[in-house]
Amino acid sequence: MSNGVLLKIEKLKVQANKKEILKGVNLQIKEGEIQTLLGPNASGKTSLANVILGNPKYNISQGKIFFGGKEITKFPPEKRVKLGMALAWQSPPAIKGVKLSQLLRKISKVTQVRPVSELGKELLEREINLDFSGGEKKISEVLQVLALNPKLVIFDEIDSGLDIKRLELCAKIIKKELIDKKVSVLFITHWGQILQFLKPDLTNVMLGGKIICKSPDYKKVLMVIKKYGYEKCKRCPYISKITK
Amino acid sequence: MDMRNVKGVPISPKLRSNFGGHKLHFWQVDHKIKNISEVPGNIILSSPQAWQKFEWVKKYFERKPREGYFIWIKKEVDFPLATCINIASPKISQDLANLLVIEKGIKVKANVVCSALKNNLCGRHYAQGKLLLKSGSSLEYNHLHQWGQKDFVSPDYEFILEKGAKLLYTYKNLLPPENLKLKTTIQSNENSSSNLSFIINGLNSKIGIEDTILLLGQNSQGIVRLRLVGRKNSQIKAISKIFAKAPGKGHLDCQGLLVDKTAKISLIPELICQNKNAQITHEASIGKISEEELNYLRMRGLTEKEAIDLIVTGFLKM
Repeated sequence: MSNGVLLKIEKLKVQANKKEILKGVNLQIKEGEIQTLLGPNASGKTSLANVILGNPKYNISQGKIFFGGKEITKFPPEKRVKLGMALAWQSPPAIKGVKLSQLLRKISKVTQVRPVSELGKELLEREINLDFSGGEKKISEVLQVLALNPKLVIFDEIDSGLDIKRLELCAKIIKKELIDKKVSVLFITHWGQILQFLKPDLTNVMLGGKIICKSPDYKKVLMVIKKYGYEKCKRCPYISKITK
Repeated sequence: MDMRNVKGVPISPKLRSNFGGHKLHFWQVDHKIKNISEVPGNIILSSPQAWQKFEWVKKYFERKPREGYFIWIKKEVDFPLATCINIASPKISQDLANLLVIEKGIKVKANVVCSALKNNLCGRHYAQGKLLLKSGSSLEYNHLHQWGQKDFVSPDYEFILEKGAKLLYTYKNLLPPENLKLKTTIQSNENSSSNLSFIINGLNSKIGIEDTILLLGQNSQGIVRLRLVGRKNSQIKAISKIFAKAPGKGHLDCQGLLVDKTAKISLIPELICQNKNAQITHEASIGKISEEELNYLRMRGLTEKEAIDLIVTGFLKM
């Protein structure tokens, strides 16, 4: 696989707890490309992100995942991370007794772990995610992802729980540390707040475990969702025009 | 500073650098005392020597001691006391009787190491210890054990806390022997307090822990924290007890983490109350490693083993 495609997902079907949650997902992300994935609750967005990173909780029943031209469908998560994938979790668990700085030192592929500007400095000596506010968790996730020096980052709901100032600061850092360095990014978002700061090249909409449309114009997609809701996405006149 | 090399066994440079820097210490390897260092006003002797020299110590030993140390802190120092008992040769069986006496109002920090210097020595380490904290004294006692896979270890320590004495005791064993029997008893008199932590990583070992706090005096207090990890082929049984005979307060906090399917942890907290004004409580739990935490760390690039080790390290931190 070439043509600058970094991640390719083909006809992916996935089960968790004996229930099919992804029902044939196709997705391609090129090197340096920014994409977004929109969708209502329980549409499969977080599951897709976890499956891409190889979370063993999910069973792939069909389909393939390629990264940098290599098939990684059966790779364990740590091997995928070593190849250059990273996921910023929506709701990361607390790890008691382990300081964030300790984990950053352990996972860091960059020479020096540092807080990016003042963001997250106060979190370094605290136990990972223990009693962190929603916003602090997001910042901790950004710091961890940056420490991995990735080629592709998936941000799962990075814009939920952050106030507008912190969201803007996060967006600036993501732009400076990732996008400007040609790292590919996939934003998973409910309402697209992050998109006012970082414009995606392509917007995907997921519904019922399938990506049902793709559009280069995120504003139009958001407008359709706002006007008709996700349930009517399939019949959306804008999207049907775009996808034809 | 008086420094005596009691028996002329060669001291390896590594051991000397690890231990020789302490100003106030007792160091024994196998059955031989390698080194004693003391400062004026404080006394460190072998237990048999103390038995000969001081009539009053005899009531603290159950019988005439064969080996072990006698440490009598009469003057406060601004550096820690250190003791180190090693097994370095195969099939050694140590039978130690130790006595530490801290005079009134003195604060002491003690770093205490008992270890096997190799993994395959099949050693036996029996230790009976009495620690007397006189009125108003305080002791921070950091007890570190590191053993080989075939060792048998059985320490039995009794701390006597006189009026207003304070004890902060941490026992850490990350490299357990094949068999460990750890018995600890605290006699807590009026206004005295003890805070005990036991941090044990079970691996290919059978471990029995029995700790008892006796609340004997008005306003005596005691807290016990157990953090036990059951790794491969380990069996851990902990009986943790507070016995309130006086109006004191006590709490037991027992937590186990089962890491391997071949491991077994049994936690038995026991509260016995003989005084209606005493307040004693406990909490106990045994859990497994959370899949979510494990997968989270693996998705940060750690292998499954590295992720488990990190979670266990965090669990054992207090």
